[in-house]
Amino acid sequence: MRKKWALSLFGLIIVAVYLFPIYWMVATSLKPTSAIFSDINIIPAQITLESYQNILTQNYPFLTYMKNSLIISVGVTVGNLLLGAPAAYALARTRITGYVWLIMFILIVQMFPSNMLALPLYTIFSKLGLINSLFGVILADMTLTLPFVILILRTSYLNIPVDLEDAASIDGCGKWRAFYSIILPLVRPGLLTCAAFSFILSWGEFLYALTFLKQNDMWTITLGMRQFVGQFGTNWGSMMALSALSSLPIIIIFMATQKYIAGGLSSGAVK
Amino acid sequence: MKKRFENYSFVLPAIVFLMIFLLYPFAFNIYLSFRDINIGNLVQGDSPFIGLENYKTILSEPLFYKSLTQTVIFTFFTLVVSTSIGFLLASYFNKAFPGNKWMRSIMLLGWMTPIIIVGTIFKWMLDGKYGIVNNMLVNIGLMNSPINWLSDIDTALFAVTVTNIWLSIPFSMIILLSGLQGIPTYVYEPATIDGASRWQKFRYITLPLMTPTISILLILGLIYTFKVFDVIYIMTAGGPANSTQVVSYLAYELSFNLFRFGEGAALSNLALFIIAFFAILYVRKVQKESVVH
Repeated sequence: MRKKWALSLFGLIIVAVYLFPIYWMVATSLKPTSAIFSDINIIPAQITLESYQNILTQNYPFLTYMKNSLIISVGVTVGNLLLGAPAAYALARTRITGYVWLIMFILIVQMFPSNMLALPLYTIFSKLGLINSLFGVILADMTLTLPFVILILRTSYLNIPVDLEDAASIDGCGKWRAFYSIILPLVRPGLLTCAAFSFILSWGEFLYALTFLKQNDMWTITLGMRQFVGQFGTNWGSMMALSALSSLPIIIIFMATQKYIAGGLSSGAVK
Repeated sequence: MKKRFENYSFVLPAIVFLMIFLLYPFAFNIYLSFRDINIGNLVQGDSPFIGLENYKTILSEPLFYKSLTQTVIFTFFTLVVSTSIGFLLASYFNKAFPGNKWMRSIMLLGWMTPIIIVGTIFKWMLDGKYGIVNNMLVNIGLMNSPINWLSDIDTALFAVTVTNIWLSIPFSMIILLSGLQGIPTYVYEPATIDGASRWQKFRYITLPLMTPTISILLILGLIYTFKVFDVIYIMTAGGPANSTQVVSYLAYELSFNLFRFGEGAALSNLALFIIAFFAILYVRKVQKESVVH
């Protein structure tokens, strides 16, 4: 028993060492501006919310950036589930011709590098009037996440017993009705994992936002971070406060869904 | 007939979406790479056809070879180090002890935090004057004087690689952990009875059983690392003096900063060609491992 607790203790040390950068972000953000360069202790000598106040009160459109990021992340999440949930089901269950090819197609396209598609997408979006539009970024981000969502969800469907669907089809339910009323509730954990993934990945997405959002008031929080250096120089305290605030939504979502995430991550990649 | 259509109606919207916004741009990029494009004709699309000219320009550019070499170094060290550390962590957190589940999942924070933010944090930690890394190294006595990690051409590539390793560790750990969990304990029993050492068990039982997982992880990691962009963008922008220039960043710069669109397109196609090779390898591996039902 004592040995087990020793294992826990060492585990905790590993976690602490690994997550030190995250800690250092928070610690820096809580130091008074005057102490950031002088107070080099691991634990800040003095704690203040000064840096957070800086961000929220100075002429920096923090809330606009957060709102834009939120719209994009929610949009991507909804879009992925709407398109991904039925598609993954069809690829898991129904015997449609060529489904092996479809799965291969999805496996391959998920690996396309986004910076390679930035230029052609930019041209296409220019024609469609989707430059400086959050909707354009939503579409682009979906191309990054939808294939992965389909792969993860497919494994969730494979894990539910076929009998249930058979029962539904004997009852004379249409396929879509059976899907909505019987199948979907069964894969709720899978759906939740995918929703969390979509949200988290699109929250952190940078390249497409950088390419398609030219107008300052359309920027996401990741783009805003870059602007911040220009506006406030290297005020590391405020920079770290901004980093901490903008990772907050991710951390909340992660805490709420962490039970599912690790499993989802590996099922999408290996299975 | 109707039933058939119903089956397809599930999968069609997603496939059509991916074709329009993923497959079509991909094909379009190939088209662009054969054209002489400038800001004036990029969107209109009346650019003249110039054959392989863009590819020739890229292939005769010394910076291409420099960035390719640096990409290989960056990718190689990221993969080797993050997979090794990931394996050690996975083995450790695979043991049964209070809090192990919670600890494994909290490690994922590193993977989840937006790369732009991680890059900013590391930039601060590696700061030449006030960074904590210099501070610690000087205090411990490992270094005599602080180093300007990110603005020195000798250390910048090393610094961004370390950052990227940090980012990649949780993913490696989780994938390897799922592999380790798939090994039933009974396979170790005969070896235990025969009095095999820990190393022997690892070398002759764990490692062979983990080879499929490791190889999938390496291929996936290679594809992900090859397209890294954000880390470079926020930490060094390819500098100083192109010492952290990598292929994916260079391709973006050609198109969007230097407006040499055709060459940008050609370079990304070359990069994709390399990635595609490994992507096909991955698909074949996955198929072999878990026969598509």
